[in-house]
Amino acid sequence: MIRQLSKTTLLSVCLLILTAFGSVKAEIVSQIIQPSKIKAVADYVVGDPNKPAILILHGFLTTNQFHTITAISNILQEEEFSTLAPNLTLRIPQRRDSIKCNSIHTNTLEDDVIEVKDWVNWLKAQGHKKIILLGHSSGSSSLLQYLHENEDSAIILAIFTSLFYLNGAELGIQNSDIAAAKLAVAAQDNYPRNYSFNFCQKNYYATPNSFLSYLKMDRQYTLDTLNSLKIPNYTIMAGEDKRYNRVGLEWLKELRATSTKLVIINGTNHFFSGEYELDFQDSLINVINGY
Amino acid sequence: MRPPAILIQSIKIYFITFLVTGTLLLLLLIGSLYKEISEIQNTMHSKAQLLADQEIETILEETIINLTSNILELADWDEVRQQISDRSFYFYWQDDRLKGSEYFKKNYAQVEIYDKNKWLLISVLSQRESPLELPLNIEDLSTQIIFTQNDTAVLHMFEPIVERDSDKILGYVGISVNLLPYLLTEYSFKYTDELSLHLTGIGSAPLSELSQHIAYKPITNPVSDALWQLINDFILTALILLFIGILVVAISFKAVFSHPLEVLSLYVQQLKKSPKKAYPEPSETFFLTEFEELKHSIHDYHGDLLTTQKALNDQYHLVWDQARRDVLTNISNRRAFDEAWNEVLESYEKKPIQTAFMLFDCDFFKALNDTYGHEVGDDVIRVSAVTIQKALPMEHPVFRIGGDEFAVIIQNKSMQETIDIASKCLQALQAHSFSGIGIKEKLSFSVGISHTNPRSEDQISNAIENLPRQADIAMYKAKQSHQYKIKTYQAEFDSETHSLVSNELVNTIVEAIHTGNNIQMHYQPIQAISDNQLYYESLIRIKKIDTLIYPYDIFSVVERRRLEVEIDTQIIQQILIAIGKGVIPKNTGVSINVSGKTLLQNNFVSLFEPFIPYLKEYKIVIEIVENTLIDHLEYAKSVLNILREQGFLIALDDFGSGYSSIRYLAHMPIDIIKFDMSMTLALRADEKTKNIIQSTAEMVRRSGYDLVLEGVEDEDMLEKAKQAGATHIQGYLLGKPHVIPEIKNPM
Repeated sequence: MIRQLSKTTLLSVCLLILTAFGSVKAEIVSQIIQPSKIKAVADYVVGDPNKPAILILHGFLTTNQFHTITAISNILQEEEFSTLAPNLTLRIPQRRDSIKCNSIHTNTLEDDVIEVKDWVNWLKAQGHKKIILLGHSSGSSSLLQYLHENEDSAIILAIFTSLFYLNGAELGIQNSDIAAAKLAVAAQDNYPRNYSFNFCQKNYYATPNSFLSYLKMDRQYTLDTLNSLKIPNYTIMAGEDKRYNRVGLEWLKELRATSTKLVIINGTNHFFSGEYELDFQDSLINVINGY
Repeated sequence: MRPPAILIQSIKIYFITFLVTGTLLLLLLIGSLYKEISEIQNTMHSKAQLLADQEIETILEETIINLTSNILELADWDEVRQQISDRSFYFYWQDDRLKGSEYFKKNYAQVEIYDKNKWLLISVLSQRESPLELPLNIEDLSTQIIFTQNDTAVLHMFEPIVERDSDKILGYVGISVNLLPYLLTEYSFKYTDELSLHLTGIGSAPLSELSQHIAYKPITNPVSDALWQLINDFILTALILLFIGILVVAISFKAVFSHPLEVLSLYVQQLKKSPKKAYPEPSETFFLTEFEELKHSIHDYHGDLLTTQKALNDQYHLVWDQARRDVLTNISNRRAFDEAWNEVLESYEKKPIQTAFMLFDCDFFKALNDTYGHEVGDDVIRVSAVTIQKALPMEHPVFRIGGDEFAVIIQNKSMQETIDIASKCLQALQAHSFSGIGIKEKLSFSVGISHTNPRSEDQISNAIENLPRQADIAMYKAKQSHQYKIKTYQAEFDSETHSLVSNELVNTIVEAIHTGNNIQMHYQPIQAISDNQLYYESLIRIKKIDTLIYPYDIFSVVERRRLEVEIDTQIIQQILIAIGKGVIPKNTGVSINVSGKTLLQNNFVSLFEPFIPYLKEYKIVIEIVENTLIDHLEYAKSVLNILREQGFLIALDDFGSGYSSIRYLAHMPIDIIKFDMSMTLALRADEKTKNIIQSTAEMVRRSGYDLVLEGVEDEDMLEKAKQAGATHIQGYLLGKPHVIPEIKNPM
């Protein structure tokens, strides 16, 4: 308890210092994603050049301004890591804001992977020799798929936080949606429709291609991909994530059974917010520094 | 305080005045209230208009700011940029996403995205004609208000979409807003009537001119409006109620006050017009008990008044009758005679008719009275009256005008008829036996008649005023005759009776009596035998050129003209002047003769009041003749005793000249008895007469009276007077009457 209090106090003091002195200033950087030619933006903070740069990828429909991402970025910047927190464009040029379930979703998992790849390359172009990939929630899934498809020696570590899979009846994915989407794709009908996806139940307005692209990441695919990773990787899970209500606590066991190093932060939620946030950050720093 | 005549009006005038004044005041009050509230209402309307103006101005400013802010946010929206980047699903985005987003405001008619060339992102085939629809391409980036014919105002606003990290224009976003619904839903109007709000104009206008195209009305204060309506209703109600009130008050007033007052007034006027007539009380029943009581009271009061009036009339008639009826004889008295005679004079003046005056008198009545006593005398008078009345025709009443004197007025009868009536009466008197009342000897009566036309049957030649005097003269003539007891006045009687009294003389006497001019008082001394103390008997003379008129002629005129009171008053004044001037020596005295008529005057005592201051230095003696005293003994006692108490002395004059009754001596209110000269002379008569006189004188002295003997003209008579017991003597021996008192002093 005392330890928890001291951590909380320490975090508050750090935040105050950051706020007060503004010692770390994020730079908005952008690049044209190929081949979509959509301009993507990211917050980039330069840290200790001797330390690896960390690419932090946000979750479903959010941006790099999501509080979990900013909290992670801040603590890593405190540790003098260079951080790059891109906004997946979701096919929106210079996307700045989170988008809604009912916004038109035309982006695909492949688009996300391309953008991750482009940002890794961008980091490398900035002179970063070592890169750590850190994803949150569905961002972890995107990074997992990136790592599954790409091998890059600059990437030395992958950290997946709140990693879940994206397809499964227990997640609300409707077989009828999948069937309809597949039919539409077959019919070359790519007009957007409402699906149930992630927390967007029945109002996820997406093109069938977009919808179907993410369904690749089902439970087993995810576990298998984890197992197939050739770089060291950690998976940090919240002990009190409500998604266990859908996927079951077996998910943790299944994760543990993979090659990933599972860290469970007890008491905290999906977003690692609240009183156990420092525990998460301590664990995160420990993971990175331990590596 | 009597109010001005103009204020004395009928109740209707006052009621109408009060009603009109009250109504005008109320109308003035209501009008004033209406004006004041109207001014307040106008002020509030002006204030409401000002507030509405300010509100509209503020709202329009906010509208421009908000719409500008909204379109800026829209232009900066990621998803707009998404559509520019990939317009594949533009319509899906418009329909399924945009309109559900917070960027599409409720009253946006349309949101369109244009490419960097200002053409719609997705071209449409048809030309857009509705102003609610945005144009296919942007011709003018400035915000415009488009007015339609059905008073719809649509705002077209455009904003460039700029790349975030450069100035590069990616495209444009446009919105069309139906302004009026926008304003009405986006803002709540506190001071502006939303229903009155509308936008008017022709064609289009820049947004900066929006305020010039908006029309509205302020919301007036609902409380004020309600109050204003309430006041209007109240004033209308008040006016109606006032009108009704006036009607009700007028009707009520008419029923409750005016009508009863009119009825009562009419009733009172009826009673006033015919006060002796008994009217039934008004049949109307009044609302007010006071009027009912007043009606009953007036009726009852009038009834009581009639009853009282009748009683008073009865009483009046009784008193009137009693006042005119002689108590002794129950026939009309002197007052009734005077009134009757005055009526005759008045009617005669208007229409002269034959009129006769008849006087009856009992011969030697005083002697009879003295002999048989007053009670018998009264019986004689009573019987005489009844007898005369019975003998007279019914239409001719008889009046008792003196002690034993009766008068009858006869009209429309000839002289002969009058004489016949007199004869019938006289015969009745003579035929009547008075033995029943104790009188043994036969009584005789004298009748004097005067007539307005004594000589001619058809010509009135005599003045009616003369009839009483003429009848009196005639009656005296009759008394002088033993055979002809009815005498009709003849002009010759005047010359016979007053041959020496010429008209000139009469005029001189009457004038002197009325004015006091030419009166010359003479004084004859009276001397006390014991101490020779003197006083003087005053005797009147009237100067006529170089001569004097003496009492015989003076009193002849006075008696005929009944001027006794006037001459006595004049003598008293003359003596008073003489005393004041010292004509009469001090420490003497004066004796004043007064008539019976003067004695009977109400102011008799006050006539002598001026002498009271002189009583210490003068002996004032009032001389009354014997007959006057005896005829009015009780009254004379009361009056003379007052004077005696004041210091005056009373002398009984001419004692023995009439029918003196010795039995009255003890009760007479006198101090001095004066023997008539005939009694003084009787001292020289035979022994028997002399003894009677001396005995009488002695009796007088014993009764305590002073005794004055008149007619002492020589020493012998003086001696006899002393022997007889006289206390004072008067006569030529002492001196004749003279202007300035003269005296010889025989003693």
